[in-house]
Amino acid sequence: MNSKPVNTKKSKNIRNTLATATGCLLGVTAQAQSANDWETDVSVLIYNETDRVSAFEPAISLKKTYEDDSVLGFKLIYDALTGASHNGAAESDEVQTFTRPSGKGSYETAAGDVPLDDTFRDSRGSFSVNYEQPIGRFNKMIYGGNISAEHDFTSMSGSATYLHDMNQRNTTLSFGVSFEYDDITPEGGIPVALSEMKANTQTQERAGDADTRTMSEVLFGVTQVIDRYTLVQLNYGYSQSSGYHSDPYKIVSVLDNNGDLVAANGLNGTYIYENRPDSRTKQSLYGKVKRYIGGDVADISYRYMWDDWDVASHTIDTHYRFNMSDSWYIEPHVRYYQQQEAEFYRYSLSSSETPEYVTADYRLGDMTATTIGAKVGFMAGGYANSVRLEMYQQTGDESPSDVDALILQYNISF
Amino acid sequence: MKIIISLLILSTLSLSGCSSLGVKPWERDILARDDMALDNAPMDSGFDDHIYFSKEASSGGKSFGGGGCGCN
Repeated sequence: MNSKPVNTKKSKNIRNTLATATGCLLGVTAQAQSANDWETDVSVLIYNETDRVSAFEPAISLKKTYEDDSVLGFKLIYDALTGASHNGAAESDEVQTFTRPSGKGSYETAAGDVPLDDTFRDSRGSFSVNYEQPIGRFNKMIYGGNISAEHDFTSMSGSATYLHDMNQRNTTLSFGVSFEYDDITPEGGIPVALSEMKANTQTQERAGDADTRTMSEVLFGVTQVIDRYTLVQLNYGYSQSSGYHSDPYKIVSVLDNNGDLVAANGLNGTYIYENRPDSRTKQSLYGKVKRYIGGDVADISYRYMWDDWDVASHTIDTHYRFNMSDSWYIEPHVRYYQQQEAEFYRYSLSSSETPEYVTADYRLGDMTATTIGAKVGFMAGGYANSVRLEMYQQTGDESPSDVDALILQYNISF
Repeated sequence: MKIIISLLILSTLSLSGCSSLGVKPWERDILARDDMALDNAPMDSGFDDHIYFSKEASSGGKSFGGGGCGCN
């Protein structure tokens, strides 16, 4: 009776050794998984901005590798958001009153404060599925599908990526396409673009209850093994979207020549609903180098992104993983982001201006952002755990851009 | 734009020279480590993509994101 488990264990060990050896010979970089095993990751993220948005986000990911090397994965995310969000209006030395997006009720911003809509509250559920299918020895297809829903936004997307290994699997070429469909159903309906915000006692002009947006994207990639310690990845991405791109909750202040509020529509200031173009073409170049350095692992990536709204951005992201032993590591992380504003971004307008497109959303303005933090990974109870703590800080030309956030994440893998 | 064209030409040239780069199949021990995978922490990068997509005017580049968001 005692010999059976020993033999089973021994044969499993031999099978795993053979599988690993075969994997190495075939150049498979992923670790061999024994059949019928689901790999599970459970994570919780807390994202907290000072005086603004807070998010609580649990997620679970399941992945199974089959004997034919195909891989099936699922991911479920829940996102609970609360707090206050900048409504787009400029600061003023007077008290400002705004109508809530629903048109029912109003809120005030004190003189000198950034106008924040404090009723921001939402929850989001997202489900995605991925399937990788090897085709012969050197090709692979990856299919993905995703659905995400909030009370005022629904998004569905699908993607297909073809990968081809060459040069003894030292080079991998990839080509992917994706398509996304978004349905936008804002609180209170779609405001008429550039129309003035009215007091809640008056009727706001609406352009219907809902609108849509579609996006198509292609991504070309090359991954190259440089030597025994170094990997390089290069990608080029092109995406085109059309439909409703405005943020239905964002307004722009219209001020007089002295920069003061102009009373109108039962409010002590004039505010118009923003208007963005109904299409956007984005392109990106992305490169990443990953290197093993005497037991540690370093990576650095750079992305240049630009679009036909005149937004251009640089992102540098780097990690250094100090492997302290086989059972724990410390991984500092630094990210730097800098963007150039969209051509129709304005902090505020003067009464004489009548732009075709305008937004005061600081996320489309000049901005610099830094993330600094670290992750600690450790084995506990036979499972891989990690805790990540980071500070994210945005700065720009005006105070709405000044955002400080804390990112805390816990992850356990089964 | 010139920089982009130069980068594209450079990457094409480096690709054609790739046959001289790389390792033999039996030299993959280090590349096969979990921490050497190009995305060795997909949960972290999934969260990060969503945060930065929501707070900045840029997104994508690495892979196809998912999840969407009405926030930008």
